[in-house]
Amino acid sequence: MRPEIREYPYDWLMGSTLKVAAAVPSGSKKETEQTYRYIPNYQKVAETFYSAGEPGVLAFKLLAAYFENILTAHDKGKPIAATTFCNSPVLLYAMDVVPATFEILTALGGVLWKRGMFDYMDFCCEVGMTETSCSSQRGAMGAVLAGLFESIDFIVCDTPGVCDTNANAFAFVSEYLNKPFFQLNYPSSIGDVRSQAYHIDDYKAMIRFIENQTGKKLDYDRLAEALQEVDKQDALIADIEDMLLLKPMPLPPLFSLALYAGRFCFSGHPEYTRLLASMVRSARQRMADGIPGLTSGKENLRVFMCYIDHYTVNMNFYNYLEERGIALTGSILTRNFRDNNQYTEILSGSSYGIDLSSKDAMLNSVAQMNARLPMVRSIRGPYDRPGMWLEESLALAKITQSDCVIYNGTPGCRNTWGMVKPFARDMERYGFPTHIMYDDAFDDRVESWGNTRERLDEFFHIRGLL
Amino acid sequence: MTIVAGCDVGSLTSKAVILQNNRIIGNSIIKSKPRPGDSAEAAFSEALAVAGIASEQVEYCIGTGYGREKIAFVNEVVSEITCHGKGARWMLPTAETVIDIGGQDCKTMKIDKNGNVGKFAANDKCASGTGRFLEVMAKVLNIGIHELGELSQKAKNPVTLASTCTVWAQADIIKFINSGVPLEDIGAGINAAMAGRVAILVNAVKPEGDIFMTGGVAKNIGVVATLEKLIGKRIKRARKADPQIAGALGAALLATEKVNR
Repeated sequence: MRPEIREYPYDWLMGSTLKVAAAVPSGSKKETEQTYRYIPNYQKVAETFYSAGEPGVLAFKLLAAYFENILTAHDKGKPIAATTFCNSPVLLYAMDVVPATFEILTALGGVLWKRGMFDYMDFCCEVGMTETSCSSQRGAMGAVLAGLFESIDFIVCDTPGVCDTNANAFAFVSEYLNKPFFQLNYPSSIGDVRSQAYHIDDYKAMIRFIENQTGKKLDYDRLAEALQEVDKQDALIADIEDMLLLKPMPLPPLFSLALYAGRFCFSGHPEYTRLLASMVRSARQRMADGIPGLTSGKENLRVFMCYIDHYTVNMNFYNYLEERGIALTGSILTRNFRDNNQYTEILSGSSYGIDLSSKDAMLNSVAQMNARLPMVRSIRGPYDRPGMWLEESLALAKITQSDCVIYNGTPGCRNTWGMVKPFARDMERYGFPTHIMYDDAFDDRVESWGNTRERLDEFFHIRGLL
Repeated sequence: MTIVAGCDVGSLTSKAVILQNNRIIGNSIIKSKPRPGDSAEAAFSEALAVAGIASEQVEYCIGTGYGREKIAFVNEVVSEITCHGKGARWMLPTAETVIDIGGQDCKTMKIDKNGNVGKFAANDKCASGTGRFLEVMAKVLNIGIHELGELSQKAKNPVTLASTCTVWAQADIIKFINSGVPLEDIGAGINAAMAGRVAILVNAVKPEGDIFMTGGVAKNIGVVATLEKLIGKRIKRARKADPQIAGALGAALLATEKVNR
């Protein structure tokens, strides 16, 4: 790690940047121009968000608030829990714990900084992690391990068996920093009674663990309030999902990112509800005007990302989609499989609901919600549904009228690399041109963005899509 | 008057050193041939010619490098890490941390005052972060490998290269060339990619004291300067001999110890 990187904590750097970014649109034109002079490398990202209108600004505010929460947690007497994006933060918030979700924290650094999260990622390797461990954790995790982040108090992770690369990274942090660590188990299936009982018991064990760490009991009334907020959020997400089916789609590509980043950071928080409501308003207006969400005003192609998006400097990927007039029909990160989503009707048995009738019902709602978070559901899948990723991707690509499917991940995504070629072959058989990106969604050093872009162009050209 | 020799058969170059009473009287660096035995013979003959002695006058010879098992004329073989530690300490008596970038691997080690290795880290299988990486990239740029260092010093806006895969980095460079990116910016990107990979290994051994670099890449000022920035420490330059012969020199020093024992 370069010595200058060690001068400032990562969370403070990002928090300050996002705070300013969130305030810029409320300033005068002169003030904005003045601010841009100090952030030459970051102007493009800011403009991408601002061009999305109110939702873009609210997304910035949400992310700024996320860092603010982390930076002020200990002053407010709240512990910080390191966790993963596959674990909804709703339970942590209900227990007055501030979540630090490594994947989100890494993606933000990658998007905003010219050199991305390279130094932090490499630091993890310097202290013993492998270079092929997941870059989405290695970024923010490097800052945590190097002491350039608010000290975390404990770790809660729900990925063993789901993504062992992810789970191992959290185990490494626990060992390296000597922090208490709870790993949630996932039963082999998620729908039957016995599995559900097992799952609820495991959640109760997790709650006992968090209670031991915080010294506070879980307030179920508070959990109920948070889940009611999740319920509102899910309804808004279902509206957005509905609009994803429209042609032209009234949602800009950035909305996909805002939707899931918000959910991973602030599920159950009113700030996220405000963001979603703003996204729905803005998209409905476009829908009424009959214009696509793309700033170019022309939708040339619809792309379904069957795994994750690409998060390197200057929002390259999202800007690329805008430039080419490509509408993004979402990724596995976008979907939540709530029972009010249209696609769950054709994927029978895939949905979950929120039930506040008893403590166990609430815990079951959280468990079912988590069981449908990205990797837990589509990629691992219960063992009795080995073709889940393919089935769901096919259904979603069809229902969203996507023209093609693109796979993008990281070299650490072992679960997907093990099956992506037969997956792509089958998608092709069903008529969806499928492209596998051999890059790293968080690290341009695996394949530079320039090359990634050229290969995308080549794919679209050769397959006659653009 | 003890005359000993060390022969280091690497994947890119082969080196030989003739020592007389701990003083270098002859050395050679040649491009490795397909057969390691032939490389060793050629390097050894050239070093003998420089020293002006016959092979019979060499009392003891130690072989090292990836081709060490195929050298017919050596008395014994020793691992490269041990030899580089010894050689580095001879070249810089205050060296405590040694970085050796060879043709196909990269190693960092901590050594004691006798040049004995205490702790080391080595790269994994990829050629990235090794001399071969630079060789391939220089070839794509159509320049000599020795020109990369100076070229990168003129860079204004170094590119970010794929640094975890040599083949993809090569594809990146071709694209940059076609896009009209200045060669010096590409060169600096190559050196930065290389330095980034090496920095991970350097920091993994927690460098202490004077840091010294051996191997041919030590002569690339671009990589060395970038590496210094990444690890935040100065890397001492070799004054007494070419850093590329450190392995062969270490082997010869071990041969001296053997003879004097």
